[in-house]
Amino acid sequence: MERATKPGRVSRFRPRGLIGMSYILESIISGLLLGLIYALLSVGFGLTWGTMKILNIAHAVFAVLGAFLAYWIFVKVKLDPILSLPFLAALMFLIGAVVYKLAVRPVTRAKDVVMASMVATFGVATVVENLMSYFWRPDPRVLKPVYSGSSLFIGDISISVGPLIGCAISLCSIALIYWFLHRTYTGKGVQATWQNPTGAALAGINPERVSLITFGLSIASAGAAGVAMAMVYAFYPAVQSVWTLFVFLVTIVGGVGSVIGSALAGLLIGFIIGVSAAFLPFVWTNVILFALLLIVLLFKPEGLFAT
Amino acid sequence: MYVALTESWNLLGGYAGYVSLGHIAFFATGAYTTAVCMSRYGISPFATFLLGGVFAGILAALVGFPVLRLRGAYFTISSLLLAVVMQLAFLNWEFVGSSTGLWYKPVPVSIVANRTIFYEAMLLLAIAVTLVARRVERSRFGMGLAAIREDEDVAKTMGINTPWLKMKAFILGAFLAGAVGGIYGYYMSYVHPDITFSMNASLLILLMAFFGGCGTWSGPLLGAVALSLVNQLIVTFIGAEISRIFYGLLLVVVIIFMPDGVLPYMRGLLAAKDA
Repeated sequence: MERATKPGRVSRFRPRGLIGMSYILESIISGLLLGLIYALLSVGFGLTWGTMKILNIAHAVFAVLGAFLAYWIFVKVKLDPILSLPFLAALMFLIGAVVYKLAVRPVTRAKDVVMASMVATFGVATVVENLMSYFWRPDPRVLKPVYSGSSLFIGDISISVGPLIGCAISLCSIALIYWFLHRTYTGKGVQATWQNPTGAALAGINPERVSLITFGLSIASAGAAGVAMAMVYAFYPAVQSVWTLFVFLVTIVGGVGSVIGSALAGLLIGFIIGVSAAFLPFVWTNVILFALLLIVLLFKPEGLFAT
Repeated sequence: MYVALTESWNLLGGYAGYVSLGHIAFFATGAYTTAVCMSRYGISPFATFLLGGVFAGILAALVGFPVLRLRGAYFTISSLLLAVVMQLAFLNWEFVGSSTGLWYKPVPVSIVANRTIFYEAMLLLAIAVTLVARRVERSRFGMGLAAIREDEDVAKTMGINTPWLKMKAFILGAFLAGAVGGIYGYYMSYVHPDITFSMNASLLILLMAFFGGCGTWSGPLLGAVALSLVNQLIVTFIGAEISRIFYGLLLVVVIIFMPDGVLPYMRGLLAAKDA
Protein backbone atom coordinates (compact mmCIF):
# COMPACT_ATOMS: atom_id res chain seq x y z
CA MET A 1 0.00 0.00 0.00
CA GLU A 2 1.34 3.38 -0.89
CA ARG A 3 0.65 6.23 1.44
CA ALA A 4 0.77 9.94 0.85
CA THR A 5 1.88 10.43 4.40
CA LYS A 6 2.35 7.56 6.77
CA PRO A 7 -0.38 8.29 9.26
CA GLY A 8 0.60 9.19 12.77
CA ARG A 9 4.31 8.80 12.14
CA VAL A 10 6.53 11.69 12.98
CA SER A 11 9.98 10.72 11.86
CA ARG A 12 12.08 10.21 14.90
CA PHE A 13 14.83 7.71 14.96
CA ARG A 14 13.93 4.91 17.29
CA PRO A 15 16.49 2.19 17.85
CA ARG A 16 14.92 -1.23 17.57
CA GLY A 17 14.11 -2.69 20.91
CA LEU A 18 13.34 0.66 22.46
CA ILE A 19 9.74 0.76 21.25
CA GLY A 20 8.07 3.39 23.33
CA MET A 21 4.52 3.28 24.54
CA SER A 22 3.55 6.40 22.67
CA TYR A 23 4.78 4.93 19.43
CA ILE A 24 2.65 1.87 19.92
CA LEU A 25 -0.35 3.96 20.85
CA GLU A 26 0.11 6.17 17.80
CA SER A 27 0.25 3.13 15.63
CA ILE A 28 -2.86 1.63 17.16
CA ILE A 29 -4.79 4.86 16.94
CA SER A 30 -3.92 5.44 13.33
CA GLY A 31 -4.78 1.82 12.66
CA LEU A 32 -8.19 2.27 14.25
CA LEU A 33 -8.85 5.41 12.22
CA LEU A 34 -7.92 3.54 9.10
CA GLY A 35 -10.08 0.63 10.11
CA LEU A 36 -13.16 2.79 10.31
CA ILE A 37 -12.45 4.16 6.87
CA TYR A 38 -12.24 0.62 5.56
CA ALA A 39 -15.52 -0.02 7.36
CA LEU A 40 -17.30 2.70 5.41
CA LEU A 41 -15.81 1.31 2.24
CA SER A 42 -17.35 -2.05 2.99
CA VAL A 43 -20.75 -1.11 4.38
CA GLY A 44 -22.25 -0.52 0.97
CA PHE A 45 -20.79 -3.71 -0.43
CA GLY A 46 -22.30 -5.74 2.38
CA LEU A 47 -25.60 -3.99 1.86
CA THR A 48 -25.99 -5.02 -1.76
CA TRP A 49 -24.76 -8.50 -1.06
CA GLY A 50 -27.16 -8.97 1.81
CA THR A 51 -30.23 -7.36 0.26
CA MET A 52 -29.96 -8.25 -3.36
CA LYS A 53 -27.48 -11.13 -3.36
CA ILE A 54 -25.39 -9.02 -5.65
CA LEU A 55 -21.66 -9.26 -5.24
CA ASN A 56 -20.62 -5.88 -6.50
CA ILE A 57 -16.95 -6.39 -7.32
CA ALA A 58 -17.07 -2.91 -8.78
CA HIS A 59 -17.75 -1.34 -5.39
CA ALA A 60 -14.17 -0.24 -4.77
CA VAL A 61 -13.74 1.19 -8.23
CA PHE A 62 -16.57 3.59 -7.47
CA ALA A 63 -14.73 4.59 -4.34
CA VAL A 64 -11.75 5.48 -6.51
CA LEU A 65 -14.10 7.35 -8.79
CA GLY A 66 -15.39 9.29 -5.82
CA ALA A 67 -11.84 10.12 -4.84
CA PHE A 68 -11.08 11.32 -8.35
CA LEU A 69 -14.22 13.44 -8.54
CA ALA A 70 -13.45 15.04 -5.20
CA TYR A 71 -9.94 15.65 -6.44
CA TRP A 72 -11.12 17.37 -9.60
CA ILE A 73 -13.65 19.45 -7.69
CA PHE A 74 -10.92 20.47 -5.31
CA VAL A 75 -8.48 21.31 -8.08
CA LYS A 76 -10.83 23.08 -10.46
CA VAL A 77 -13.30 24.78 -8.16
CA LYS A 78 -11.11 24.96 -5.05
CA LEU A 79 -13.93 23.52 -3.00
CA ASP A 80 -12.76 21.59 0.04
CA PRO A 81 -13.56 17.87 -0.22
CA ILE A 82 -15.52 17.92 3.01
CA LEU A 83 -17.78 20.63 1.64
CA SER A 84 -18.21 18.95 -1.71
CA LEU A 85 -19.06 15.66 -0.06
CA PRO A 86 -22.87 16.00 0.00
CA PHE A 87 -22.92 16.95 -3.65
CA LEU A 88 -20.54 14.11 -4.43
CA ALA A 89 -22.66 11.63 -2.56
CA ALA A 90 -25.76 12.68 -4.48
CA LEU A 91 -23.88 12.42 -7.77
CA MET A 92 -22.60 8.97 -6.89
CA PHE A 93 -26.12 7.91 -5.96
CA LEU A 94 -27.26 8.86 -9.43
CA ILE A 95 -24.34 7.05 -11.01
CA GLY A 96 -25.23 4.04 -8.92
CA ALA A 97 -28.81 4.17 -10.10
CA VAL A 98 -27.68 4.26 -13.73
CA VAL A 99 -25.27 1.37 -13.28
CA TYR A 100 -28.02 -0.54 -11.56
CA LYS A 101 -30.44 -0.05 -14.41
CA LEU A 102 -27.91 -0.94 -17.07
CA ALA A 103 -25.80 -3.70 -15.67
CA VAL A 104 -27.18 -5.01 -12.44
CA ARG A 105 -30.90 -5.37 -12.84
CA PRO A 106 -30.71 -7.63 -15.91
CA VAL A 107 -28.46 -9.91 -13.91
CA THR A 108 -30.97 -10.42 -11.14
CA ARG A 109 -33.01 -12.55 -13.48
CA ALA A 110 -30.20 -15.07 -13.81
CA LYS A 111 -30.25 -18.58 -12.45
CA ASP A 112 -27.34 -17.95 -10.15
CA VAL A 113 -27.50 -14.32 -9.20
CA VAL A 114 -24.39 -14.29 -7.08
CA MET A 115 -22.14 -15.70 -9.80
CA ALA A 116 -23.66 -13.71 -12.59
CA SER A 117 -23.49 -10.49 -10.61
CA MET A 118 -19.87 -11.19 -9.80
CA VAL A 119 -18.94 -11.64 -13.41
CA ALA A 120 -20.99 -8.68 -14.57
CA THR A 121 -19.61 -6.34 -11.93
CA PHE A 122 -16.12 -7.61 -12.69
CA GLY A 123 -16.76 -6.31 -16.18
CA VAL A 124 -18.13 -3.03 -14.89
CA ALA A 125 -15.11 -2.60 -12.64
CA THR A 126 -12.77 -3.13 -15.56
CA VAL A 127 -14.67 -0.67 -17.70
CA VAL A 128 -14.73 2.07 -15.08
CA GLU A 129 -11.12 1.53 -14.05
CA ASN A 130 -9.89 1.77 -17.60
CA LEU A 131 -12.12 4.71 -18.43
CA MET A 132 -10.56 6.56 -15.51
CA SER A 133 -7.14 5.43 -16.60
CA TYR A 134 -7.74 6.54 -20.13
CA PHE A 135 -9.11 9.98 -19.36
CA TRP A 136 -7.24 10.85 -16.23
CA ARG A 137 -4.00 8.93 -16.69
CA PRO A 138 -2.90 6.23 -14.32
CA ASP A 139 -0.62 8.42 -12.23
CA PRO A 140 -1.20 8.57 -8.50
CA ARG A 141 -3.04 11.59 -7.17
CA VAL A 142 -3.13 13.04 -3.72
CA LEU A 143 -5.84 15.07 -2.09
CA LYS A 144 -4.06 17.82 -0.26
CA PRO A 145 -6.40 20.20 1.44
CA VAL A 146 -4.94 22.72 3.87
CA TYR A 147 -5.11 20.53 6.90
CA SER A 148 -3.82 17.29 5.45
CA GLY A 149 -0.21 17.54 6.44
CA SER A 150 -0.57 18.62 10.01
CA SER A 151 -0.93 16.59 13.17
CA LEU A 152 -2.83 16.90 16.37
CA PHE A 153 -0.93 16.41 19.56
CA ILE A 154 -2.52 14.80 22.56
CA GLY A 155 0.12 14.68 25.20
CA ASP A 156 2.95 12.70 23.75
CA ILE A 157 0.94 11.21 20.90
CA SER A 158 0.61 12.72 17.49
CA ILE A 159 -2.38 11.99 15.31
CA SER A 160 -2.25 12.92 11.70
CA VAL A 161 -5.16 15.12 10.71
CA GLY A 162 -5.75 13.54 7.33
CA PRO A 163 -6.75 10.12 8.62
CA LEU A 164 -8.64 11.81 11.44
CA ILE A 165 -10.83 13.71 9.02
CA GLY A 166 -11.23 10.60 6.91
CA CYS A 167 -12.34 8.70 9.97
CA ALA A 168 -14.75 11.48 10.88
CA ILE A 169 -16.26 11.29 7.41
CA SER A 170 -16.61 7.56 7.81
CA LEU A 171 -18.20 7.74 11.22
CA CYS A 172 -20.74 10.30 10.09
CA SER A 173 -21.55 8.34 6.94
CA ILE A 174 -21.89 5.04 8.76
CA ALA A 175 -24.11 6.70 11.34
CA LEU A 176 -26.20 8.21 8.55
CA ILE A 177 -26.62 4.87 6.85
CA TYR A 178 -27.53 3.18 10.09
CA TRP A 179 -30.04 5.88 10.85
CA PHE A 180 -31.50 5.54 7.37
CA LEU A 181 -31.84 1.79 7.64
CA HIS A 182 -33.34 1.71 11.08
CA ARG A 183 -35.26 4.91 11.51
CA THR A 184 -36.75 5.83 8.19
CA TYR A 185 -39.63 4.18 6.45
CA THR A 186 -37.69 3.54 3.27
CA GLY A 187 -34.79 2.16 5.19
CA LYS A 188 -36.96 -0.25 7.06
CA GLY A 189 -38.39 -1.27 3.74
CA VAL A 190 -34.88 -2.12 2.65
CA GLN A 191 -34.39 -4.26 5.71
CA ALA A 192 -37.71 -5.95 5.21
CA THR A 193 -36.91 -6.82 1.63
CA TRP A 194 -33.64 -8.25 2.77
CA GLN A 195 -35.17 -10.44 5.43
CA ASN A 196 -38.10 -11.64 3.45
CA PRO A 197 -38.54 -10.43 -0.12
CA THR A 198 -41.91 -12.03 -0.66
CA GLY A 199 -43.29 -10.85 2.62
CA ALA A 200 -42.06 -7.37 2.01
CA ALA A 201 -43.65 -7.31 -1.41
CA LEU A 202 -46.90 -8.50 0.09
CA ALA A 203 -46.69 -5.68 2.57
CA GLY A 204 -46.70 -3.25 -0.30
CA ILE A 205 -43.01 -2.50 -0.52
CA ASN A 206 -41.84 -2.12 -4.07
CA PRO A 207 -38.82 -4.43 -4.46
CA GLU A 208 -37.64 -2.64 -7.58
CA ARG A 209 -37.50 0.70 -5.84
CA VAL A 210 -35.83 -0.84 -2.83
CA SER A 211 -33.15 -2.43 -4.98
CA LEU A 212 -32.54 0.78 -6.82
CA ILE A 213 -32.25 2.81 -3.63
CA THR A 214 -30.04 0.25 -1.96
CA PHE A 215 -27.67 0.10 -4.86
CA GLY A 216 -27.57 3.86 -5.23
CA LEU A 217 -26.92 4.23 -1.52
CA SER A 218 -24.19 1.64 -1.73
CA ILE A 219 -22.38 3.46 -4.50
CA ALA A 220 -22.85 6.80 -2.76
CA SER A 221 -21.24 5.37 0.36
CA ALA A 222 -18.44 4.03 -1.80
CA GLY A 223 -17.85 7.50 -3.15
CA ALA A 224 -17.74 8.98 0.33
CA ALA A 225 -15.37 6.22 1.40
CA GLY A 226 -13.19 7.06 -1.56
CA VAL A 227 -12.90 10.63 -0.34
CA ALA A 228 -12.04 9.36 3.14
CA MET A 229 -9.41 7.02 1.68
CA ALA A 230 -8.02 9.88 -0.34
CA MET A 231 -7.35 11.74 2.90
CA VAL A 232 -4.93 9.03 3.85
CA TYR A 233 -3.58 7.42 0.72
CA ALA A 234 -2.55 8.41 -2.74
CA PHE A 235 -4.88 6.89 -5.29
CA TYR A 236 -4.83 5.86 -8.92
CA PRO A 237 -7.27 3.85 -11.04
CA ALA A 238 -5.56 0.51 -10.56
CA VAL A 239 -5.61 0.72 -6.79
CA GLN A 240 -9.24 -0.36 -6.91
CA SER A 241 -8.22 -4.00 -6.90
CA VAL A 242 -6.29 -3.50 -3.68
CA TRP A 243 -9.22 -1.66 -2.13
CA THR A 244 -11.52 -4.43 -3.31
CA LEU A 245 -9.50 -6.87 -1.26
CA PHE A 246 -9.99 -4.78 1.84
CA VAL A 247 -13.68 -4.58 1.14
CA PHE A 248 -13.80 -8.36 1.04
CA LEU A 249 -11.76 -8.57 4.19
CA VAL A 250 -13.97 -6.29 6.23
CA THR A 251 -17.23 -7.61 4.85
CA ILE A 252 -16.44 -11.24 5.40
CA VAL A 253 -14.99 -10.70 8.85
CA GLY A 254 -17.85 -8.45 9.81
CA GLY A 255 -20.70 -10.40 8.37
CA VAL A 256 -22.55 -9.66 5.19
CA GLY A 257 -25.11 -6.89 5.34
CA SER A 258 -24.65 -5.80 8.89
CA VAL A 259 -23.69 -2.16 9.23
CA ILE A 260 -22.59 -2.53 12.83
CA GLY A 261 -20.73 -5.68 11.87
CA SER A 262 -18.77 -3.84 9.25
CA ALA A 263 -17.94 -1.06 11.67
CA LEU A 264 -16.76 -3.51 14.32
CA ALA A 265 -14.81 -5.53 11.81
CA GLY A 266 -13.23 -2.33 10.57
CA LEU A 267 -12.16 -1.48 14.09
CA LEU A 268 -10.78 -4.95 14.66
CA ILE A 269 -8.85 -4.90 11.42
CA GLY A 270 -7.65 -1.41 12.14
CA PHE A 271 -6.43 -2.53 15.51
CA ILE A 272 -4.58 -5.45 13.97
CA ILE A 273 -3.02 -3.17 11.41
CA GLY A 274 -1.92 -0.79 14.12
CA VAL A 275 -0.39 -3.44 16.32
CA SER A 276 1.38 -5.30 13.54
CA ALA A 277 2.69 -2.09 12.02
CA ALA A 278 4.27 -1.22 15.35
CA PHE A 279 6.09 -4.49 15.83
CA LEU A 280 6.56 -6.17 12.49
CA PRO A 281 8.06 -5.19 9.18
CA PHE A 282 5.57 -3.46 7.00
CA VAL A 283 4.74 -6.25 4.62
CA TRP A 284 3.76 -8.69 7.31
CA THR A 285 0.67 -6.63 8.06
CA ASN A 286 -0.93 -7.71 4.82
CA VAL A 287 0.02 -11.31 5.41
CA ILE A 288 -1.67 -11.29 8.79
CA LEU A 289 -4.79 -9.67 7.37
CA PHE A 290 -5.16 -12.17 4.59
CA ALA A 291 -4.47 -15.03 6.93
CA LEU A 292 -7.29 -13.69 9.08
CA LEU A 293 -9.55 -13.54 6.06
CA LEU A 294 -8.73 -17.10 5.14
CA ILE A 295 -9.38 -18.34 8.65
CA VAL A 296 -12.71 -16.56 8.87
CA LEU A 297 -13.69 -17.86 5.45
CA LEU A 298 -12.93 -21.39 6.45
CA PHE A 299 -14.42 -21.47 9.89
CA LYS A 300 -17.03 -18.78 10.13
CA PRO A 301 -17.99 -17.50 6.69
CA GLU A 302 -21.01 -15.67 8.02
CA GLY A 303 -18.65 -13.31 9.75
CA LEU A 304 -17.49 -12.74 13.26
CA PHE A 305 -20.04 -10.09 14.07
CA ALA A 306 -23.00 -11.33 12.08
CA THR A 307 -26.41 -10.39 13.35
CA MET B 1 -1.63 -19.66 -25.33
CA TYR B 2 -4.96 -18.33 -24.29
CA VAL B 3 -6.67 -21.35 -25.73
CA ALA B 4 -4.74 -23.59 -23.39
CA LEU B 5 -5.25 -21.31 -20.42
CA THR B 6 -8.95 -20.92 -20.96
CA GLU B 7 -9.53 -24.62 -21.54
CA SER B 8 -7.64 -25.45 -18.39
CA TRP B 9 -9.63 -22.88 -16.40
CA ASN B 10 -12.83 -24.22 -17.82
CA LEU B 11 -12.28 -27.62 -16.27
CA LEU B 12 -13.24 -26.22 -12.94
CA GLY B 13 -14.94 -23.04 -14.00
CA GLY B 14 -17.24 -24.20 -16.75
CA TYR B 15 -17.68 -27.88 -16.16
CA ALA B 16 -18.00 -27.76 -12.42
CA GLY B 17 -19.28 -24.23 -12.12
CA TYR B 18 -16.63 -23.07 -9.69
CA VAL B 19 -15.53 -19.73 -11.05
CA SER B 20 -11.93 -19.15 -10.10
CA LEU B 21 -10.54 -15.68 -10.39
CA GLY B 22 -7.10 -16.81 -9.40
CA HIS B 23 -6.16 -19.19 -12.21
CA ILE B 24 -3.36 -16.89 -13.13
CA ALA B 25 -1.56 -17.98 -9.98
CA PHE B 26 -0.92 -21.40 -11.49
CA PHE B 27 0.21 -19.93 -14.73
CA ALA B 28 2.63 -17.73 -12.82
CA THR B 29 3.93 -20.69 -10.82
CA GLY B 30 4.91 -22.35 -14.05
CA ALA B 31 6.47 -19.19 -15.42
CA TYR B 32 8.50 -18.66 -12.29
CA THR B 33 9.64 -22.26 -12.19
CA THR B 34 11.08 -21.88 -15.64
CA ALA B 35 12.55 -18.53 -14.75
CA VAL B 36 14.30 -19.79 -11.66
CA CYS B 37 15.56 -22.91 -13.38
CA MET B 38 16.86 -20.94 -16.30
CA SER B 39 18.52 -18.20 -14.36
CA ARG B 40 19.96 -20.18 -11.52
CA TYR B 41 20.66 -23.52 -12.98
CA GLY B 42 20.60 -22.99 -16.71
CA ILE B 43 18.21 -25.82 -17.45
CA SER B 44 16.35 -25.65 -20.70
CA PRO B 45 12.66 -24.83 -20.38
CA PHE B 46 11.60 -27.75 -22.46
CA ALA B 47 12.55 -29.90 -19.57
CA THR B 48 11.26 -27.61 -16.88
CA PHE B 49 7.86 -26.64 -18.12
CA LEU B 50 6.41 -29.92 -16.99
CA LEU B 51 8.04 -29.32 -13.65
CA GLY B 52 6.29 -25.96 -13.60
CA GLY B 53 3.06 -27.78 -14.15
CA VAL B 54 3.83 -30.15 -11.32
CA PHE B 55 4.53 -27.32 -8.92
CA ALA B 56 1.30 -25.65 -9.95
CA GLY B 57 -0.51 -28.90 -9.36
CA ILE B 58 0.99 -29.21 -5.91
CA LEU B 59 -0.05 -25.66 -5.15
CA ALA B 60 -3.55 -26.46 -6.26
CA ALA B 61 -3.64 -29.53 -4.06
CA LEU B 62 -2.48 -27.59 -1.02
CA VAL B 63 -4.77 -24.68 -1.60
CA GLY B 64 -7.68 -26.67 -2.88
CA PHE B 65 -7.98 -28.69 0.24
CA PRO B 66 -9.44 -25.90 2.35
CA VAL B 67 -10.69 -23.68 -0.41
CA LEU B 68 -12.75 -26.13 -2.44
CA ARG B 69 -14.98 -26.65 0.52
CA LEU B 70 -16.33 -23.17 0.08
CA ARG B 71 -19.25 -22.52 -2.14
CA GLY B 72 -19.89 -20.09 -4.93
CA ALA B 73 -18.97 -16.57 -4.05
CA TYR B 74 -16.69 -17.47 -1.20
CA PHE B 75 -14.68 -19.77 -3.42
CA THR B 76 -14.27 -17.09 -6.04
CA ILE B 77 -13.10 -14.57 -3.48
CA SER B 78 -10.63 -17.07 -2.08
CA SER B 79 -9.24 -17.80 -5.50
CA LEU B 80 -8.80 -14.10 -6.11
CA LEU B 81 -7.09 -13.92 -2.76
CA LEU B 82 -4.71 -16.69 -3.78
CA ALA B 83 -3.56 -14.81 -6.83
CA VAL B 84 -3.12 -11.54 -4.99
CA VAL B 85 -1.39 -13.00 -1.97
CA MET B 86 1.00 -14.90 -4.23
CA GLN B 87 1.72 -11.71 -6.07
CA LEU B 88 2.47 -9.88 -2.85
CA ALA B 89 4.55 -12.77 -1.57
CA PHE B 90 6.60 -12.97 -4.74
CA LEU B 91 7.16 -9.24 -4.63
CA ASN B 92 9.05 -9.75 -1.42
CA TRP B 93 10.70 -13.09 -1.86
CA GLU B 94 14.33 -12.80 -2.87
CA PHE B 95 14.58 -16.26 -4.29
CA VAL B 96 12.32 -15.21 -7.13
CA GLY B 97 13.80 -11.78 -7.52
CA SER B 98 11.33 -9.77 -5.45
CA SER B 99 10.42 -6.49 -7.07
CA THR B 100 13.08 -6.40 -9.71
CA GLY B 101 11.90 -9.54 -11.37
CA LEU B 102 14.03 -12.22 -12.88
CA TRP B 103 15.77 -11.69 -16.14
CA TYR B 104 17.61 -14.40 -17.89
CA LYS B 105 19.17 -15.22 -21.17
CA PRO B 106 16.97 -17.08 -23.60
CA VAL B 107 18.34 -19.84 -25.77
CA PRO B 108 20.55 -18.08 -28.30
CA VAL B 109 18.58 -18.20 -31.51
CA SER B 110 17.29 -15.40 -33.66
CA ILE B 111 14.12 -13.55 -32.78
CA VAL B 112 12.18 -15.14 -35.59
CA ALA B 113 13.24 -18.60 -34.55
CA ASN B 114 12.33 -17.73 -30.99
CA ARG B 115 8.84 -16.70 -31.91
CA THR B 116 8.38 -19.71 -34.09
CA ILE B 117 9.45 -22.06 -31.36
CA PHE B 118 7.10 -20.31 -28.99
CA TYR B 119 4.25 -20.49 -31.44
CA GLU B 120 4.76 -24.15 -32.15
CA ALA B 121 5.04 -24.97 -28.49
CA MET B 122 1.89 -23.07 -27.64
CA LEU B 123 0.06 -24.62 -30.52
CA LEU B 124 1.00 -28.07 -29.33
CA LEU B 125 -0.02 -27.18 -25.81
CA ALA B 126 -3.29 -25.73 -26.99
CA ILE B 127 -4.10 -28.87 -28.93
CA ALA B 128 -3.07 -31.04 -26.02
CA VAL B 129 -5.14 -29.14 -23.50
CA THR B 130 -8.17 -29.00 -25.76
CA LEU B 131 -7.96 -32.74 -26.30
CA VAL B 132 -7.72 -33.26 -22.58
CA ALA B 133 -10.74 -31.04 -22.05
CA ARG B 134 -12.64 -32.94 -24.69
CA ARG B 135 -11.83 -36.28 -23.14
CA VAL B 136 -12.76 -35.03 -19.72
CA GLU B 137 -16.05 -33.70 -20.90
CA ARG B 138 -17.07 -36.99 -22.39
CA SER B 139 -15.89 -39.09 -19.52
CA ARG B 140 -17.60 -39.96 -16.30
CA PHE B 141 -15.31 -37.45 -14.70
CA GLY B 142 -16.85 -34.74 -16.82
CA MET B 143 -20.36 -35.86 -16.10
CA GLY B 144 -19.62 -35.80 -12.43
CA LEU B 145 -18.39 -32.24 -12.74
CA ALA B 146 -21.49 -31.26 -14.64
CA ALA B 147 -23.58 -32.78 -11.90
CA ILE B 148 -21.73 -30.65 -9.40
CA ARG B 149 -22.46 -27.59 -11.44
CA GLU B 150 -26.15 -28.33 -11.64
CA ASP B 151 -26.71 -29.09 -8.02
CA GLU B 152 -23.91 -30.06 -5.77
CA ASP B 153 -25.95 -31.40 -2.91
CA VAL B 154 -27.94 -33.68 -5.15
CA ALA B 155 -24.73 -34.89 -6.70
CA LYS B 156 -23.45 -35.77 -3.29
CA THR B 157 -26.53 -37.73 -2.39
CA MET B 158 -26.20 -39.64 -5.64
CA GLY B 159 -22.91 -40.94 -4.42
CA ILE B 160 -20.65 -38.79 -6.53
CA ASN B 161 -17.48 -38.09 -4.66
CA THR B 162 -17.70 -34.32 -5.07
CA PRO B 163 -14.63 -33.21 -3.11
CA TRP B 164 -12.39 -35.60 -4.96
CA LEU B 165 -13.78 -34.61 -8.36
CA LYS B 166 -13.43 -30.93 -7.62
CA MET B 167 -9.91 -31.49 -6.46
CA LYS B 168 -9.03 -33.43 -9.60
CA ALA B 169 -10.43 -30.71 -11.81
CA PHE B 170 -8.61 -28.05 -9.86
CA ILE B 171 -5.27 -29.85 -9.90
CA LEU B 172 -5.54 -30.83 -13.53
CA GLY B 173 -6.44 -27.28 -14.53
CA ALA B 174 -3.58 -25.97 -12.46
CA PHE B 175 -1.07 -28.43 -13.90
CA LEU B 176 -1.99 -27.47 -17.45
CA ALA B 177 -1.89 -23.77 -16.67
CA GLY B 178 1.48 -24.24 -15.02
CA ALA B 179 2.83 -25.99 -18.08
CA VAL B 180 1.62 -23.14 -20.26
CA GLY B 181 3.24 -20.71 -17.88
CA GLY B 182 6.48 -22.61 -18.12
CA ILE B 183 6.72 -22.04 -21.83
CA TYR B 184 5.53 -18.46 -21.51
CA GLY B 185 8.24 -17.74 -18.97
CA TYR B 186 10.82 -18.90 -21.44
CA TYR B 187 9.42 -16.78 -24.21
CA MET B 188 9.24 -13.59 -22.21
CA SER B 189 12.66 -14.18 -20.69
CA TYR B 190 11.60 -11.93 -17.84
CA VAL B 191 9.23 -12.49 -15.00
CA HIS B 192 7.99 -9.97 -12.54
CA PRO B 193 5.14 -10.18 -10.07
CA ASP B 194 3.20 -7.32 -11.58
CA ILE B 195 3.12 -8.56 -15.14
CA THR B 196 3.09 -12.28 -14.64
CA PHE B 197 0.25 -12.08 -12.15
CA SER B 198 -1.78 -9.77 -14.28
CA MET B 199 -5.41 -9.35 -13.31
CA ASN B 200 -6.03 -8.43 -16.90
CA ALA B 201 -5.23 -11.96 -17.98
CA SER B 202 -7.73 -13.31 -15.46
CA LEU B 203 -10.36 -11.08 -16.96
CA LEU B 204 -9.52 -12.29 -20.44
CA ILE B 205 -9.65 -15.94 -19.45
CA LEU B 206 -13.04 -15.44 -17.85
CA LEU B 207 -14.31 -13.52 -20.82
CA MET B 208 -13.09 -16.06 -23.36
CA ALA B 209 -14.63 -18.89 -21.44
CA PHE B 210 -17.98 -17.19 -20.95
CA PHE B 211 -18.07 -15.80 -24.46
CA GLY B 212 -17.36 -19.08 -26.09
CA GLY B 213 -19.52 -21.07 -23.75
CA CYS B 214 -18.53 -22.64 -20.49
CA GLY B 215 -19.99 -26.06 -20.60
CA THR B 216 -18.07 -27.66 -23.42
CA TRP B 217 -14.58 -28.06 -24.79
CA SER B 218 -15.35 -26.10 -27.92
CA GLY B 219 -16.52 -23.02 -26.13
CA PRO B 220 -13.25 -21.77 -24.68
CA LEU B 221 -11.51 -22.64 -27.93
CA LEU B 222 -13.84 -20.44 -29.90
CA GLY B 223 -13.80 -17.73 -27.29
CA ALA B 224 -10.03 -17.68 -27.00
CA VAL B 225 -9.39 -17.62 -30.71
CA ALA B 226 -11.98 -14.98 -31.50
CA LEU B 227 -11.12 -12.71 -28.63
CA SER B 228 -7.35 -13.02 -28.97
CA LEU B 229 -7.69 -11.78 -32.50
CA VAL B 230 -9.93 -8.93 -31.48
CA ASN B 231 -7.61 -8.10 -28.62
CA GLN B 232 -4.57 -7.84 -30.85
CA LEU B 233 -6.45 -5.68 -33.32
CA ILE B 234 -7.74 -3.27 -30.75
CA VAL B 235 -4.50 -3.05 -28.83
CA THR B 236 -2.50 -2.39 -31.97
CA PHE B 237 -4.80 0.10 -33.55
CA ILE B 238 -6.68 1.82 -30.78
CA GLY B 239 -5.03 1.36 -27.46
CA ALA B 240 -4.55 -0.95 -24.55
CA GLU B 241 -7.00 0.69 -22.19
CA ILE B 242 -9.71 0.85 -24.80
CA SER B 243 -9.39 -2.86 -25.33
CA ARG B 244 -9.88 -3.47 -21.65
CA ILE B 245 -12.91 -1.22 -21.60
CA PHE B 246 -14.23 -3.16 -24.52
CA TYR B 247 -13.63 -6.41 -22.70
CA GLY B 248 -15.35 -5.24 -19.57
CA LEU B 249 -18.36 -4.16 -21.58
CA LEU B 250 -18.33 -7.38 -23.53
CA LEU B 251 -18.23 -9.36 -20.33
CA VAL B 252 -21.28 -7.53 -19.02
CA VAL B 253 -23.13 -8.00 -22.29
CA VAL B 254 -22.23 -11.66 -22.52
CA ILE B 255 -23.31 -12.46 -19.02
CA ILE B 256 -26.61 -10.66 -19.48
CA PHE B 257 -27.59 -11.78 -22.92
CA MET B 258 -25.78 -14.98 -23.58
CA PRO B 259 -24.77 -16.55 -20.31
CA ASP B 260 -24.18 -19.89 -21.95
CA GLY B 261 -21.91 -18.48 -24.56
CA VAL B 262 -22.02 -17.45 -28.14
CA LEU B 263 -22.69 -20.83 -29.72
CA PRO B 264 -25.89 -21.68 -27.88
CA TYR B 265 -27.06 -18.12 -28.44
CA MET B 266 -26.46 -18.37 -32.15
CA ARG B 267 -28.15 -21.72 -32.29
CA GLY B 268 -31.09 -20.22 -30.51
CA LEU B 269 -31.27 -17.39 -33.01
CA LEU B 270 -31.09 -19.75 -35.95
CA ALA B 271 -33.71 -22.04 -34.49
CA ALA B 272 -36.03 -19.12 -33.94
CA LYS B 273 -35.55 -18.07 -37.52
CA ASP B 274 -36.43 -21.50 -38.85
CA ALA B 275 -39.53 -21.73 -36.71
